[in-house]
Amino acid sequence: MQTLFTLSQTLLDGLMLGGVYAVLAVGLSLVFGVMHIVNFAHAEFMMIGMYIGWLCWFYLGLDPMLGAFIALAVTFVFGMLIQRVLIKPILGAPQVAQIFLTVGLMFALENAALMIMGAEYRSVTTSYQTDSLVLFASGNERLLVGMDKLYAFLMALASGAAVWVFLNRTRFGTAMRATSQNPMAAKLMGVNTNLMYSVAFGLGVGTTAFGGSVVLPYMTASPAIGTSFAVLMFTVVVLGGLGSVTGAIIGGITVGLIQSFSALVLPIQLQNLTLFAVFILMLALRPEGLVARRRS
Amino acid sequence: MTRISTTGLAALAVVILALALAPLGLDPFGYALRIMCLMLLFGALGQAWNIVGGLANQISLGHAAYFGIGAYTSTILFGSFGISPIFGAVIGAALAALFALLLSLPTLRLKGHYFALATLAAGEMARIVANSWTSVTGGPVGISVPYRPDGGFWALQFENALPNYYLFLGAFLIVTLIFWKVKTSAFGYRLRAIKENEIAAEVVGVNTYRVKLYASVLSAAITAVLGMLYAQFQFFFDPDTIFGVASMSVKMALIAILGGAGTIFGPWLGALVIIPLEEMANSYLGNTVAGLSQFAYGVLLIVVILLNPRGLISLFGKLRAKFFGGNRG
Repeated sequence: MQTLFTLSQTLLDGLMLGGVYAVLAVGLSLVFGVMHIVNFAHAEFMMIGMYIGWLCWFYLGLDPMLGAFIALAVTFVFGMLIQRVLIKPILGAPQVAQIFLTVGLMFALENAALMIMGAEYRSVTTSYQTDSLVLFASGNERLLVGMDKLYAFLMALASGAAVWVFLNRTRFGTAMRATSQNPMAAKLMGVNTNLMYSVAFGLGVGTTAFGGSVVLPYMTASPAIGTSFAVLMFTVVVLGGLGSVTGAIIGGITVGLIQSFSALVLPIQLQNLTLFAVFILMLALRPEGLVARRRS
Repeated sequence: MTRISTTGLAALAVVILALALAPLGLDPFGYALRIMCLMLLFGALGQAWNIVGGLANQISLGHAAYFGIGAYTSTILFGSFGISPIFGAVIGAALAALFALLLSLPTLRLKGHYFALATLAAGEMARIVANSWTSVTGGPVGISVPYRPDGGFWALQFENALPNYYLFLGAFLIVTLIFWKVKTSAFGYRLRAIKENEIAAEVVGVNTYRVKLYASVLSAAITAVLGMLYAQFQFFFDPDTIFGVASMSVKMALIAILGGAGTIFGPWLGALVIIPLEEMANSYLGNTVAGLSQFAYGVLLIVVILLNPRGLISLFGKLRAKFFGGNRG
């Protein structure tokens, strides 16, 4: 009975974590899907989202769940700007140029945050942080989920769904998918592909920043947090298949589950080791991801 | 670059002579000499990276793993068992080669971004292991190389940086020679065929998998030996520095790429520019605002890529074409 509780609790924790990983990675996947570049700096936008969420909480008293929308809006504009100035010139360049440009951007953003915000860890206090929802209880055993994790999970799912609806159910989204499949043909059909690229990049970094803000109640913001999530986010999208929104969600939940279950048997500091090993094997065995994308 | 003209050879001799004479006027305990040592060491690292990254275009972002394996192996063997770092380097090189071999099994068929991502993760795995395997590595606080001034040559420790300089110059020239030999051999042509068009290379009978494997293992072993030299020179290092993405993996690659990936003198130029720039940034900006020098490093990387993705050495080609009308470059 006790093991059953432990297992269900682990499953639940993994699911909550995975939902958040999914929304963090949806943006990365979107950028790759539309522009076919791997943005090594992408995880820095999670860090930016966390700081925007923190600033909104600290100066405006805004809950990070609401601050997330401001984070989304600000990084959307910032992302479009970065796309215009830095990413656009290297779209057709050799991969080595793309890799090192985004790696440079990664250093620049992380250290800009260090210069502006300092090295202190920033966290928020909210009314629901210590509350948890008891899903099931029997005797001394209780299956519970922290409200902060639950809210973050629900916000993450909602934003993932919003991106999916945008891509699949709107004209603009259709145009964006067309650009992703065949930019030349899309252009001939009158799609402004440059606009599509900018919006895809802005939206991609925006959703990741959104995810950064919603996890703020249970994670602390620091300049290096983005870099420490970078490989994790890549693992998620590679598991799900680069360029697929549904894939990112499945990948996110898989990674969340791997992390919470490996914590049962491994010391906490080795958690990411398992993950990275899975990542390398995954790249080698199924680089197209667990969910093969529909071919156009 | 296969046929070296007499003028080219003479120019090279002058450069090497200048490198040999350069430290003579300097304070052997001074800061300038230390920077010159690091330039040579990182030039050699860029050159080792160049074997697989430059020639075969397999962009590794995990070379820090090999570097750290070399540094940790020689330091632990020296500290705990008194084994000379010279033998430690041999064992470290063997371990790094083994790691490269194991990593190659799943990753060598990957291309471009995917290979870069996989190697990035591998480097991070090495960093996690070094941080958590405290009983062997000392964990996050780092590890010191025991100072044995009476150890003589076998301890490979010197009271000032001058002998180090010549040691590093030797290593740098040897690695450059290895690179040149690889590049101009049939093996090197196969690697470059992979860079140009892997499928075509396979069609004409190149065993691309094996060629990339040999190059990776060679590059890893050299990197590990340089790791030992770094440890003996610095006397102290920690997992986050030696296995760092920014501090090691990207820097090695950047040195080769900034100078001109796949060219013999690319890493020379790259190290000549990057290392002093970085040191200057650290000493002038590092104390004023935390993060400023690293920020400048990131911006530099962006600017370099946007201005000239083919590396500094292509500028020489352009200049030569302009003045001599030829278009070799």
